[in-house]
Amino acid sequence: MSRRKADKKENEPEVRGPNSALTAFLREQGIDAGAIRRRYEQSLLTERNEQTSHLYEQEDESFEENEIILAAIEKRRRKRAEANADGSYSDSSFSGDDLKDSHYCMNCDREFRITVYSKKVEKDGKVGYLCIKCTRFQIEQEGRKKKAAFEARKKRKKLASALLNRQELKIPSLQDICIKLLSTHIDDVHALGDISVVSMNKISRILSKNRSLNNRTMMLFLDATLKHLEFWDCSNIDMAYLDKITTFCPKLESITLNMCGQLHNSNLISFAQNLLSLNSVVLNGPFLISEPTWIQFFELMNEKLRLFHVSNTHRFSDQCLQSLLTNCGGRLESLSLSRLDGLSSKAAYDVLPYHLKNLKLLDLSNPFKENLIDDNLIISILSVNGGSIETLLLDGCSGLTDLFLVKGVKKFCPFLKRISLESLDQVTDNGFTQLFDGWNINSGLIEVNLKRCSGLTDRGLFTFLSHSASSLVSLNLNSVYSLSRTLFETLSRTLRFPLLTTLDLGFVRSVDDKAIAILSRICPKLKELEVYGNNRCTQRARIRRGLKVLGRQSDSI
Amino acid sequence: MSDEEEDFDKEEFVTLISSDGFKFIISKEIAEVSGTLRNMLGTSFQEAESNRITLHEIDGVLMEKIIQYLHYNFQYKDQVDVPEFDIPTEMALELLVAADFLDV
Repeated sequence: MSRRKADKKENEPEVRGPNSALTAFLREQGIDAGAIRRRYEQSLLTERNEQTSHLYEQEDESFEENEIILAAIEKRRRKRAEANADGSYSDSSFSGDDLKDSHYCMNCDREFRITVYSKKVEKDGKVGYLCIKCTRFQIEQEGRKKKAAFEARKKRKKLASALLNRQELKIPSLQDICIKLLSTHIDDVHALGDISVVSMNKISRILSKNRSLNNRTMMLFLDATLKHLEFWDCSNIDMAYLDKITTFCPKLESITLNMCGQLHNSNLISFAQNLLSLNSVVLNGPFLISEPTWIQFFELMNEKLRLFHVSNTHRFSDQCLQSLLTNCGGRLESLSLSRLDGLSSKAAYDVLPYHLKNLKLLDLSNPFKENLIDDNLIISILSVNGGSIETLLLDGCSGLTDLFLVKGVKKFCPFLKRISLESLDQVTDNGFTQLFDGWNINSGLIEVNLKRCSGLTDRGLFTFLSHSASSLVSLNLNSVYSLSRTLFETLSRTLRFPLLTTLDLGFVRSVDDKAIAILSRICPKLKELEVYGNNRCTQRARIRRGLKVLGRQSDSI
Repeated sequence: MSDEEEDFDKEEFVTLISSDGFKFIISKEIAEVSGTLRNMLGTSFQEAESNRITLHEIDGVLMEKIIQYLHYNFQYKDQVDVPEFDIPTEMALELLVAADFLDV
């Protein structure tokens, strides 16, 4: 090719081939194919060079970018300076400042050239820019801050939902972790022995909670020296294995069987016959035990029985109660008859005062019919047992009125500590004021449940709280609708609750932020305050550290 | 000066010695997660003076796991999503006894 080109050049003046109009035009314009070619080859060459150096360039790209920007800015500034040189700026110092390219970084005080990307900051009242490095750092930091804020928000949300779920923000103890592990590997544990009784009970409770207490796992807890046994979920333990309790633990003194629907007549009888030191029996749901068996059991236990709690069985009849009272009544210290639909005659209840003499705990909650338990019955029971009674549970005995408080509790109960009067709608302010006004023989109640006592208002409550303020630990006022804001304001001025730990004010609509703030102040030990259904309680309430407020609408968002 | 420094160190750290002679130096704050250690350090017993506690019933391997737990407990208290603490099954019962002793 080059030869041809050379030839062409050489021969140009003399010989000419056939010519097109285009060729003639191009020559006229001085455009030469050879020159175009050369230029093309040149460009190829430079491109290759560029490609090899590309790697190095990429690194400096941002720097170069900055350089370009700087150059552009400078050019613009110079132009402006030229334009202004004509004299529109007479102030020399100002124009001098404007001409100065370099700034000092607000952060590191390094001299640098300002760009459009330079960050404007305000520091100690001065406004200035950051150098390239500091700008980059600042941007990074801001990103990090944003991320942290997002994480924090996420965490707050989680904490709020945990509060609502009553999830304890507590690390499980190492013991709990171990016990959990043990209960998952229960088969290997047989060789292990040597765990403290407390841990044993814990294991037993964990297993019950997981509903994994069964024929196999229950064997772990049977020990010849065992004195107290509690199985909180016996639904998976069958008759044959319940019998092993008597064989393996002859020294048992107290037995607690919850959900013991598989407990047979023969089991109960064998408990009474073989466990010679047995004195406490707590059975929940023993619906297979028949009437004659109960009677036989009480005859066998006779004087030994000190504590008897039974609930949730329809087979415990009037005759059974009669037998219990005649055989064991005199020595009973703790009696609980709850949700027993078989006890349907008033006469059966009415003999209670004639047999019971040393009661510390009496629980007659949720009788089959409301008229079974009336004021006179409770008054006469208390007149005999008042000197020893500490706990009185009368939930759902809605036949009771103010009378039993005034004529029974006030007169006879100096040591009463716990009282539960859930859903006693006939109890009113009159009863409460008469009971607690000048009730000097009692030094104060510790645990009080007045859930759904809808007859109570501020007056009765205040008299009660004035009496027991210094001793109260737990108080339930859920759904005592008529309480008003004035009560909390009066409390704020007059009373302090040094021991109160849990308080339920759910569905007491008058409770608002101010009431919460007051309670937070006057109950220094308060840990849990429930305000479900009180829509005037908001996030804005002022709460002491360490107090959990449950059930606010704002907590769920 | 050096005395002061030593005192400072003593304030901050506790030396736990296992039955087989391993020494574990951990911060006091973390040791106090354990009720037993907290009580020991909070009294006028010799242990509180010297900040050295010898635990005759706990061997080195067990002690290491317990100290792991103390750190785990310290790090994750007051948090919601806590990862599980891993224990080898064969260690569970020994650890339970030790945990019972240390009240953790």
